[in-house]
Amino acid sequence: MSSDKAFNPFEMAQTQFDKVAEILNLDEATRQLLRNPLREFHFSIPVRMDDGTTKVFRGFRVQHNDARGPSKGGIRFHPQETVDTVRALSMWMTWKCAVVNIPLGGGKGGVICDPHHLSMKEQEQICRGWVRQMAKNVGPLNDVPAPDVMTNAQHMLWMLDEFEAIHGAKFPGFITGKPVGMGGSLGRAEATGYGVIFTLREALKELGIRPQDTSAAVQGFGNVAQFAIELYNQMGGKVVCVSSWDQNDQCSYTFKRASGVNLQELLKITDKFGGIDKAEAKKLGYEILDGDAWIEQEVDILVPAALENQIREDNVGKISKKVKIIAEGANGPTTPEADKVIQERGIFVIPDFLANAGGVTCSYFEQVQSNMNYYWEKDEVLGKLDVKMTAAFHAVSELSKKRNLYMRDAAYVISVSRVAQACKDRGWV
Amino acid sequence: MVNEHKPIDNLVFELQERAKELNCLYTIEDSLNRSDISLRQAFHTVINAIPPGWQYSNVCKAKLVYGDIVYQTSDFEETKRVIKSDIVVQEQTVGHIAVYYTSEVPPADVGPFLKEEKKLLDTIAERLGHFILHQKLKNVFNEFQSVRQQVDGHTKGEWRIVLDMIRKTDPNLFMSLLRKTLHLLCWKGVEEAEMLMKHTSLSWRGGTTDEELQYDDNKPLKVSKMVNYDQYVETILKLADDNLPDDIILSRIQKWIQEDKSSALVKVVETQDTSLTDIADAIRRYYHMAPEKFELPPSTIKGLRVSLLRRFFTEQLEYISVAKEYVKLTDFYKLIDKMIFPSGSHGKLGGKSAGLFLSAHILQKVGESVELLSDIKTPKTWYITSDGVLHFMQHNNLEEVLEQKYKEIDEVRIEYPHVVQLFKNSEFPPDIIKGLSVALDDLGDKPLVVRSSSLLEDQMGAAFSGKYKSLFLANQGTKQQRLVALMDAIAEVYASTFSPDPIEYRAERGLLDFHEEMGVMIQEVVGTKVGKYYFPSFAGVAFSNNEFRWSPRIKREDGLVRMVPGLGTRAVDRLSDDYPVLVSPGQPNLKINISPEELRRYSPKKIDVINLETNDFESILINNLLDECSAEYPLFTEIFSVLDGTMIRQPGPLDVFDNSKEFLVTFDGLISKTNFLKRIDVILKTLQEKIKTPVDIEFAYDGKDFYMLQCRPQSFLRESNSDSIPKEVPEEKIVFTAHKFISNGRVPDITHIVYVDPQKYSEISDRNKMLNVGRAISKLNKTLPKRKFILIGPGRWGSRGDIKLGVSVTYSDINNTAILIEVARKKGNYVPDLSFGTHFFQDLVEAGIRYLPLYPDDAGVVFNEKFLNSSQNIFCDLVQEYNYLEDTIRVVDVVSSTRGSILKILMNAEIDEAIGMFAQPSTETSLEKEYKEIVEYHPGDYWRWRMKMAEKIASELDSNRFGVKGIYVFGSTKNAVSGPGSDIDLIVHIEKEKCNIKELSLWFEGWSLALSEMNYLRTGYRSSGLLDIHYVTDEDIKNKSSYASKIGAITDAARPLKFKAKVN
Repeated sequence: MSSDKAFNPFEMAQTQFDKVAEILNLDEATRQLLRNPLREFHFSIPVRMDDGTTKVFRGFRVQHNDARGPSKGGIRFHPQETVDTVRALSMWMTWKCAVVNIPLGGGKGGVICDPHHLSMKEQEQICRGWVRQMAKNVGPLNDVPAPDVMTNAQHMLWMLDEFEAIHGAKFPGFITGKPVGMGGSLGRAEATGYGVIFTLREALKELGIRPQDTSAAVQGFGNVAQFAIELYNQMGGKVVCVSSWDQNDQCSYTFKRASGVNLQELLKITDKFGGIDKAEAKKLGYEILDGDAWIEQEVDILVPAALENQIREDNVGKISKKVKIIAEGANGPTTPEADKVIQERGIFVIPDFLANAGGVTCSYFEQVQSNMNYYWEKDEVLGKLDVKMTAAFHAVSELSKKRNLYMRDAAYVISVSRVAQACKDRGWV
Repeated sequence: MVNEHKPIDNLVFELQERAKELNCLYTIEDSLNRSDISLRQAFHTVINAIPPGWQYSNVCKAKLVYGDIVYQTSDFEETKRVIKSDIVVQEQTVGHIAVYYTSEVPPADVGPFLKEEKKLLDTIAERLGHFILHQKLKNVFNEFQSVRQQVDGHTKGEWRIVLDMIRKTDPNLFMSLLRKTLHLLCWKGVEEAEMLMKHTSLSWRGGTTDEELQYDDNKPLKVSKMVNYDQYVETILKLADDNLPDDIILSRIQKWIQEDKSSALVKVVETQDTSLTDIADAIRRYYHMAPEKFELPPSTIKGLRVSLLRRFFTEQLEYISVAKEYVKLTDFYKLIDKMIFPSGSHGKLGGKSAGLFLSAHILQKVGESVELLSDIKTPKTWYITSDGVLHFMQHNNLEEVLEQKYKEIDEVRIEYPHVVQLFKNSEFPPDIIKGLSVALDDLGDKPLVVRSSSLLEDQMGAAFSGKYKSLFLANQGTKQQRLVALMDAIAEVYASTFSPDPIEYRAERGLLDFHEEMGVMIQEVVGTKVGKYYFPSFAGVAFSNNEFRWSPRIKREDGLVRMVPGLGTRAVDRLSDDYPVLVSPGQPNLKINISPEELRRYSPKKIDVINLETNDFESILINNLLDECSAEYPLFTEIFSVLDGTMIRQPGPLDVFDNSKEFLVTFDGLISKTNFLKRIDVILKTLQEKIKTPVDIEFAYDGKDFYMLQCRPQSFLRESNSDSIPKEVPEEKIVFTAHKFISNGRVPDITHIVYVDPQKYSEISDRNKMLNVGRAISKLNKTLPKRKFILIGPGRWGSRGDIKLGVSVTYSDINNTAILIEVARKKGNYVPDLSFGTHFFQDLVEAGIRYLPLYPDDAGVVFNEKFLNSSQNIFCDLVQEYNYLEDTIRVVDVVSSTRGSILKILMNAEIDEAIGMFAQPSTETSLEKEYKEIVEYHPGDYWRWRMKMAEKIASELDSNRFGVKGIYVFGSTKNAVSGPGSDIDLIVHIEKEKCNIKELSLWFEGWSLALSEMNYLRTGYRSSGLLDIHYVTDEDIKNKSSYASKIGAITDAARPLKFKAKVN
């Protein structure tokens, strides 16, 4: 029993929604409908443990809204999962799908468990148990699960297998996050990083800046950052520095080269976690700076693509006057206090919510391909991704201009309004 | 004569000679061992076998004289070029054997003969002596048989015939049998026998009849001498005849005769001053005469085993009492063949050899009935006894190096490289070279590891292991090259006895005067050739007790395995840049790393291998190795998994050939598809049961077989000793107690407690504020003295996403804590799960940071919230920018809050108890001796020297010239907690306008480099500078910004230093 004052993610999500509802001037019924999930499932999953005892795990599935299409959302294995967390996350999924305008609703699910204390066999039993409980209420046409915290492709395949066994047919579109060749989609690795740059490209277009005249500082050198740099370079942009985490020194460094970093060259001296070899980098002519140095570079574009809370009250002042765009590749890289400062300075922000929606869009593509049982080449996936991201950006940006909204608010407003409209059109409210 | 300038030719020649000699000996041995051979046949074989064994075989002739009979080789011709050995049977010369050269040959050691040839001839003569005796006895028994047949049924007294014959052939044996008969009679209660023992006129002379009354415990008895021998004998025989049935006497006599055969061995082994050479000879002889088919009485066998264990390994009773049950006499016979020792050696084999020898034999014996333990191998090993190093030094007149250990440590360090060179450029004594050469022939050209096996290791436990060198050799090239490389490596291992680290360690523990000798093990490296590399498929260490449990479902006795692909070096040592795979054999399915990200992060990246082309030991990236030869990797599918998107799976048949795939070391196949872990589990449990203590073992797997490389008690490890938990500690002295999931582990004295109040933390409703708790912790982690503070927090440290569950930190935010504590407070009716450190478990393991879960709401548990909440909170003084978190994070300076006490955390996994209590700082006399030994040794020296240097710098600093207003020392130097690698933190207060920072920095730089060099000489720690200078201005001090806050701070304030007096 947590105390009244305790942090409640669901309440926070509701408050956020209320703010947007106010802007949109939504009617009370729509607010009531969207403030809460449409459906919730709470159930028990008994599992025979390896040592012969039986343990009962608590499972959830929350379908926040499916007015725009089947619910979509991950399944989390978390030791202290609460239904409020799952509710908040399912609501977040509804908005996320809506902002890129894909025909899906929002859902989330989970099981209270810590996989660190479970064998693979036990985890498999949990997965299959979850599907047995939910088999009638999930499926390619009503609710599509995906991997999330502490679940991965393996768990998805167990769940798919159980689902297909129950229904006596093949339904690869039941679940996403499958490996390529087992119903997965190509282009998954590139999707988020490319998505960031698709929206950046459109933003530059709107601001009337040619990409080849721009420079950028990138924080992070993981999957998202690497593909973002790749595409940005292809567009002619110059990345002046990247920052990466150094496992040995337990801190991050910024690798700067005024003439521009060379992605292929850096990848050769990078370990699997995006850690760059300092000594080798020095040989290649990179300056090694403090981990925070990326933020104070004289560049046009900042791409935080590492962790949350990287642009804070204490360092937001260091952002150069030259910076025109911040493209949020990471989740929540900017704290609310810093966000205010950025808004005041008039820097153009492509909010995380929109900028990194390439991932969920690709999941949608996986589902589409699975339902057809026909799989596209990578080019086709990425081409379709470009179309989706570009359209999504313009919708948000237009709204932002029309109603004079900060980009972050505009993104929120557009997704809520799309969902609200769908509910109305169906005659629900 | 062989040219002295060509040592290689010389050596080869000598080896050929030895081979010829051995051949000769084998031929002779072979024929003499045939049971049906007659004396005549035997003699002929011998003289014909001799010439081929001699250097100039074509002109070599042999002659054997036995009594009046002469045997000689064809065309025999007597010359003056002769060596001769007598054949002795029961101390009587019965003949001789002689070797002649018929024509002139160059002179050698003994006339024209080599000294080895003379020795060989002696051996042959001696062997013939035994043979003749054996034949004689055989005849006696044959005679007896025929007599018996004649008597036909009348068996009465036949034993007397036997004894009669023995009396004629072997008077010593006869006396011994007689004595035993007398004892037997006494035992049976025959009064006359007792009389005879001490009283009859026969048995003693002089003295008074009531001597027995004078028996005194402390006085030696007078030796009674026999006068009338024949009468004495007759009396005993008559008594036996009257009192004992014939068949009993006969069977006893037979048994006693057998016992007698081992007496020579017993005598040799029991005598303190016999050399290993004598013992080796005695064992060989015994083995030939009486291999185990003779049933010695168990007592004799045990006695022999104990004596041999003592001579070869150790005097330690614990060891001997276990080993004597498992080690057979034949095992020693096999062992001596692999031992290299100087003549007259009294050395031992050292601790490492002893452990391996014992465990291998335990597993062998138990393996006879337990299938999982069968076929456990040990690599082929040769041993150099511990006095080899002394012999080596004497041979090269290096004795003065022995005094090295009494020099100042910096001197030792400076001179050490010279000692290494000196040793490497010295020659080995010829007998050792010969031994090594034979060893190399036996070991072939497989890579070798030369390991130290020192006597101190044996004494002190593994605290000492790792201080001496182990060297890998590719062992490629010609025999001569390999021999040179081997000697080079041994010399280096020998030199490591004089390296500064062990000497310093010994000095600190008062062990300098211990006579350190070092045995050497030359071991075949387990492995296979893959491409140009050689390595085992995988290797590792395993522990009976798991002191690092990542799940509450894992019990301590479930054990722990640390394993890596390739050579086990990466599993034995704690790594700073890589991780081994950890598995608990009792709970093989509970993995530490579950998600693909975790697996990627924590799976081993490098592999240790031997490069057969460059003859080097190398650490290479596993990926690079797989690019070259994944298809050849032994047990590839057992060790590696494929990362396919976010899917981790065991490799399919074609994956091996697909270099585009990302492979991770998971050992999933090994764990799920083989009985390997079950085997490890049984091995650990068996050894623990037999040796009666938890053990740790090193192992390697070459793809086919399991090899044991080492075994020692786990208690040797510092971290696995249980603390004794004091009882009846007054409650106000306790901070917390715990009764669940306790691991053993040493926690140093704690000066600061960081406590995140669970209630207050759960009340934070703003996610950002929660994240800031993590940031504040990170700041404290960098501010508080390293490993002197503890972190106590709610739920799960390192939570991501749902950070209500615990403070959101990464490993780098907590990496200086001494122990990570998680508190599970009851919420309503459920107790939340704790993380057990899983978010960064392997980082904690490698850094030796302990983990402890607390359950304050359990019955009988103390959790002193009053102290934590009511002590002065110095949080705001340390991290001003988060002062609004003051309610949530409390930092308690234990020393000032308790007026001088520190927090001591004691953990005992045996009884599953832990306590955190106030105590006086260590070195307290009430602590047990054992504990004192474990406490960091002499930390005083490090900080005292640093403080002195800081004062020196200040006194040399010209404040006018540089515009300096003040200089302060802080951090580890000021807090007297410096380690050997610590830097000296100084704050320099400068006048902004007057100070030329560039010049001043240069001045400090000079000091910094000089001090760094000095520190290296003192401690062996290298750094790029020892000073850490922070400049502050008036403004900084006013704002209390950055390091300026340390000046005049409430806790841990920087200490001002005195300047050079101002000149004007």
